Amino acid sequence: MSIEYLPGDTMLHRLDVRAKMFGFLVLLILSFIFQAPIYQLLIVTFTGILACWTKISLRKIRKMLAPLLPIIIMITLITGFTMTPDRFDQATSQAILFYILPGDRLGATVGGLLMGATFTLRLFSMMIASSVLTSTTSMDDFTQFFQIMKVPVEMTMMLTTAIRFIPTLDKKRRLIVEAQRARGVKFNEKGMIGALQSHLPLMIPMFINSILMANSLSMAMLNRGYGLTRTSTSMRDIRFSLKDYYALSFSILLLTSALFVRFRLHIGLL
Amino acid sequence: MERHENAIELNQVSYSYPNSVEPSLKNVTLVVEKGKFVVLMGSSGAGKTTLSLCLNGLIPQLLEGKLTGQVSVAGKDVGKTSVQSMSKVLGLVLQDPETQIIGRIVEEDTAFGPRNVLIPLNKIKQRVNLALEKVRLKGYQQRLTEALSGGEKQRLAIAGVLVMEPDILVLDEPTSELDPLGRLEIYETLDDLRREKDLTILLVDHSSEEVIKKADEVVVLNEGEVVWKGVPSDLFRNILLLRKFGIKPIPVSLIGWHFFEKGWISFAEIPLDTSSAEDLIRRLLPEFGRWHEQPHGQIKNRLQQQRSKKSVAVQVSHLIYEYNPGEPALRGMNMTIEEGQFVALIGQNGAGKTTLAKHFNGLLKPTCGEVIVEGMNTLHYDTSDLSKTIGYVFQNPDHQIFSATVEKELEFGLKNANYKGKDIKDRVDEVLQYTGLEKFRSVHPFSLGKGERQMIAVASILVLKPKLLIIDEPTTGSDWAGVQTMMALIKKLHAAGTTIIMITHDMDLVAQYAQRVIVLKDGDILLDGTPQEVFSHDQMLLDSAIIPPQLCRLSVHLSDILAHETFIEASEFTAMFERGEKQECL
Repeated sequence: MSIEYLPGDTMLHRLDVRAKMFGFLVLLILSFIFQAPIYQLLIVTFTGILACWTKISLRKIRKMLAPLLPIIIMITLITGFTMTPDRFDQATSQAILFYILPGDRLGATVGGLLMGATFTLRLFSMMIASSVLTSTTSMDDFTQFFQIMKVPVEMTMMLTTAIRFIPTLDKKRRLIVEAQRARGVKFNEKGMIGALQSHLPLMIPMFINSILMANSLSMAMLNRGYGLTRTSTSMRDIRFSLKDYYALSFSILLLTSALFVRFRLHIGLL
Repeated sequence: MERHENAIELNQVSYSYPNSVEPSLKNVTLVVEKGKFVVLMGSSGAGKTTLSLCLNGLIPQLLEGKLTGQVSVAGKDVGKTSVQSMSKVLGLVLQDPETQIIGRIVEEDTAFGPRNVLIPLNKIKQRVNLALEKVRLKGYQQRLTEALSGGEKQRLAIAGVLVMEPDILVLDEPTSELDPLGRLEIYETLDDLRREKDLTILLVDHSSEEVIKKADEVVVLNEGEVVWKGVPSDLFRNILLLRKFGIKPIPVSLIGWHFFEKGWISFAEIPLDTSSAEDLIRRLLPEFGRWHEQPHGQIKNRLQQQRSKKSVAVQVSHLIYEYNPGEPALRGMNMTIEEGQFVALIGQNGAGKTTLAKHFNGLLKPTCGEVIVEGMNTLHYDTSDLSKTIGYVFQNPDHQIFSATVEKELEFGLKNANYKGKDIKDRVDEVLQYTGLEKFRSVHPFSLGKGERQMIAVASILVLKPKLLIIDEPTTGSDWAGVQTMMALIKKLHAAGTTIIMITHDMDLVAQYAQRVIVLKDGDILLDGTPQEVFSHDQMLLDSAIIPPQLCRLSVHLSDILAHETFIEASEFTAMFERGEKQECL
């Protein structure tokens, strides 16, 4: 996720990480059980409201989405043309709009295009929801969540250090690129082999530097008592408060009603 | 609890790294008393880092190899205690601040240690706040570690081990990666810590004026052996010993040493700071001084002559550069550098030194204005084209070395510039000779020391025979001998006609080697002139956090005698006592 933690004091920030993760899971399930784009639109709107509430800049999300635009169009078109009428239950969805090839071949179904829209909206809601999650949850909270989920300490440590070192490594990468360009390397060589070759002078120092860094990092960690015990003191007492129970019951309510609508009333299919 | 008088005891300690023939430590026996401030010195490869790693058990617990002898710290047998448990007794701070920070925000990072040893949360908060206060980072709790300056990062690293409440603090060249301001911050922090009587401090450092005043004791390592131990002033007055151990002497002591050799003063009178040197010169001048004329005019003239006849190497006009719109890093700069000059670019971090230098080989293109190097407008040339005439050596050699042998590393630039077969071989041979790397021709670069890797980085640029050479901090982290070898090479290149632009924080080097000094401040030129001219503006430099070299400061103190002349070499001072002219009356 390209959106990092933004410290803040909204309700979502203060919510217990477990409640948040459960809510996220519910949204995930919701968006996958409904096929009709109108329901997806509801979910997108809901996540959009959450995003506004936490004050993460929508411009940032838009920036993330912009490069995906061609893919989104592709998805819509491909599903539109490849989903045959028999894939759909409802007559309106089975209708064929037009054929792209002569002889009634490769027809665009209404359902297919709607399905494409669903895929797109699903992508949107997932991106917004995960952005909201990462921007309101500190790394420490995540670590604690992993601990509760009984993920091994080593794994969580690995994950958090990896995230911590992304900016550092990126700085290294820039320095290496500059040093090699000063020696006449062109990093925009054409062709597979050319591109590969021109990246060797970047990749090798990058690997070497990462290994050196990892080596001294391991020393620094041992110096500070890492590994003496298999756990570590939690920085925050996490305890469910009233708002967490509210959020939790809201999520459960949402989930059950959605499941009811979808599987009992058979609404939301195409 | 039992009281231990000795914080650190090493008895007959020897250690060899895996796969190495020579031991890195040889029969080291050393005692550090509780509460002392001890400085460990010696040239690169003398075993200083190895020794510090032995103290908390990283050797042999993390780094294998052959360790013999007894290491005991605060009464604990290090051989029988895990590194993690040692962290409660001895805190070790390493060179690179970047890799010692684990947390994303300051508070989280400092809390890392106590959390590992399961200290309860409320106590952690207290300890974190206390530790941050000790390193003068109070109020930084919520800051992002990534956004801290180098000095702040290193202080955070110190806080990270102090929070474990150790009795002993070991710092392995904590200032070697920092700029002068960051260095000053660390020394101030050490001063603060020093005032707390309980803490024993072992500092590994290259010699510097700051350290000598503070240390109770100096231990010198040479090729893995303890060769000297005693009071700092005894060592730093003995120039012969310093030369033998490869430690940089304090500039004013060189003047004193000259007087001592003449038999004018006693050993104990050799000055170690400017004020005592000033007193000494004032005292001796009436008696022995023979100085009359100003021996300095010649140097200035030399530069002026060059200015008039040489053609232009770099022409910068109205250069503005913005990393982010609206925040200029360079604000309309104008300058001309003539061919064959030796220019030093100095200034605080963020003043724009590197930003400016990167314009010279087209790594950055002007937002506004233009840069013309060797007749080429950088706007119209790619860095890869400019690299054939303009060499740029970066600070960290490890950012560019990627070949399996030194020879291949040198060939790389030539291949990029489309040289073929014999040309490549000839040039590589020539540069290997020139830089003294011949004996390492088929050695893997990473098996060599930092000083040699730095030399390889320079050599890999020199094969292209650049007319203009830009060197960014060529001596960071090198010992005195390394600095001298590197500077000798640069001087040789300059003598052969290469234009040199050197970015550095080492004012002694600037004074000694540069013909012209350009001081940058906030993206503009603050001062531009000969070292003598520039270093006489001590007040202006102070605003830029630049401390002129010790001898220049001495000249300022003696300005009534020197008629406002600025001396930059010890020999110039001693010359006052040797000239055959009439004695000047005071």
